[in-house]
Amino acid sequence: MRTTGLTVGLVLATLFAGGLAAQDVPLRLDGRVSPDVQRAVRRIAADAAARDLPVDPLVQKAIEGAAKGVPAERVIAAVRALAARLADAMAAVREGGVAAPSGDFVEAGADALNTGLSRSQVAELVRVSQPPQDPAITLRVAATLAALGVPATQAVQLVEGMITAGRSPSDLLGLPGQVQAGVAGGSTAAQAAAGLARAAGGTPPGRTPGWVPPGQTNPNKPPPNPHKPPPNPHKP
Amino acid sequence: MKTGYHALVKRLLDGELTLAELPPELRAEGEEALRLVGAADRAPVALSPALDERVMATVRRHAGDARANRVWRWLNTPRDVELRLRVRPWTVWAGGLAAAAALALLLGRAAPAPQPGPGTQARAGTRDSVLVRFVLYAPGARRVAVAGTFNQWDRSIAPLVPAGTSGVWTTTLALPVGQHQYAFVVDGARWIVDPAAPAVDDGFGRRNSVVAVSAPGGHTL
Repeated sequence: MRTTGLTVGLVLATLFAGGLAAQDVPLRLDGRVSPDVQRAVRRIAADAAARDLPVDPLVQKAIEGAAKGVPAERVIAAVRALAARLADAMAAVREGGVAAPSGDFVEAGADALNTGLSRSQVAELVRVSQPPQDPAITLRVAATLAALGVPATQAVQLVEGMITAGRSPSDLLGLPGQVQAGVAGGSTAAQAAAGLARAAGGTPPGRTPGWVPPGQTNPNKPPPNPHKPPPNPHKP
Repeated sequence: MKTGYHALVKRLLDGELTLAELPPELRAEGEEALRLVGAADRAPVALSPALDERVMATVRRHAGDARANRVWRWLNTPRDVELRLRVRPWTVWAGGLAAAAALALLLGRAAPAPQPGPGTQARAGTRDSVLVRFVLYAPGARRVAVAGTFNQWDRSIAPLVPAGTSGVWTTTLALPVGQHQYAFVVDGARWIVDPAAPAVDDGFGRRNSVVAVSAPGGHTL
């Protein structure tokens, strides 16, 4: 009889161990949010997990809302909006060429979207972030610049310009601090970012990446077509 | 916190000028700035008298209910077990199935995580933590705390300590490497952003401050 109990116990323990991950969300929400919010967030989180989206930011948002005394329906709406943003970020990161991004990576993309970057800008930043650049850091830097008040398009151009100019990841990480210093010195965030773009030799505001000042040679310009006939000197 | 000091006062704070070298109309501002900085830097670490109570309240909250404790104690209590093995075919099958399920679970969990491309490089060193100092100028406040993603938005865990009577509140926290959102909580109810940090929409119609903590010498944000 005891052998039977041992077997049943092992089976139960196996099943219990398998269900721990799914129980993580209510465990973290227990005692922190209302039962209504807990039920709704559990459903949203289960749906997010099924789509390989990170669950932790959703739990954090629910806890944040409850801590701030936000009404339940508004907390649920915010968690739902965040789940949608994470899904958008996942799609953008995949468009950028990373098939299976980590949860932190997707969260960085969602943060970038939250600060005003578009989905195509997120995808573009991921695409240009080739080693040694880390695309998650690129997204974080662009998002922080936008949060500092740099217009999203200008933030993306500045970061892209730094990458195409061959600047190191450390240089990228230093950008928000430099913009803050510029703002402390009396510039607007946009002016500070424009100054950094000029100093880095990157793309100035309003120009597409790869733009070359007049009179300079574009190193990325393809060689001339050898099959093209030379210009006729007798032609008027 | 006042950030709009005159350029000459900033040079005074940097040690490039002395108080006597300031124009007379700026001396009062210079003295005030020196006093604030001096108070913030020399403020002794003072633990709140209510700290013990808050810690114990947190411990009790996380301790779980009594029934769970009783079950846990029962599971951990050593007792004599009489084991008589009488092998029967159905027992072998059940045991084999359970073992196979456990093995499949272990192998499934030990499988390598999907490679997310270059993004994984940034995860190296995420267990590191870095000391971050939070400062808020809140004259007239009775209590100030900082709450954020790093402490589950708990406004009782990380109180700031007043630096004398200057209205400057500070605390230093060890934060894990990564990006965190936070806000200051004044008098237990008023949530305000850090005026010295970038801020983002919090989804509830307010804003959160953002701090990016990178490992010393590393590239992780």
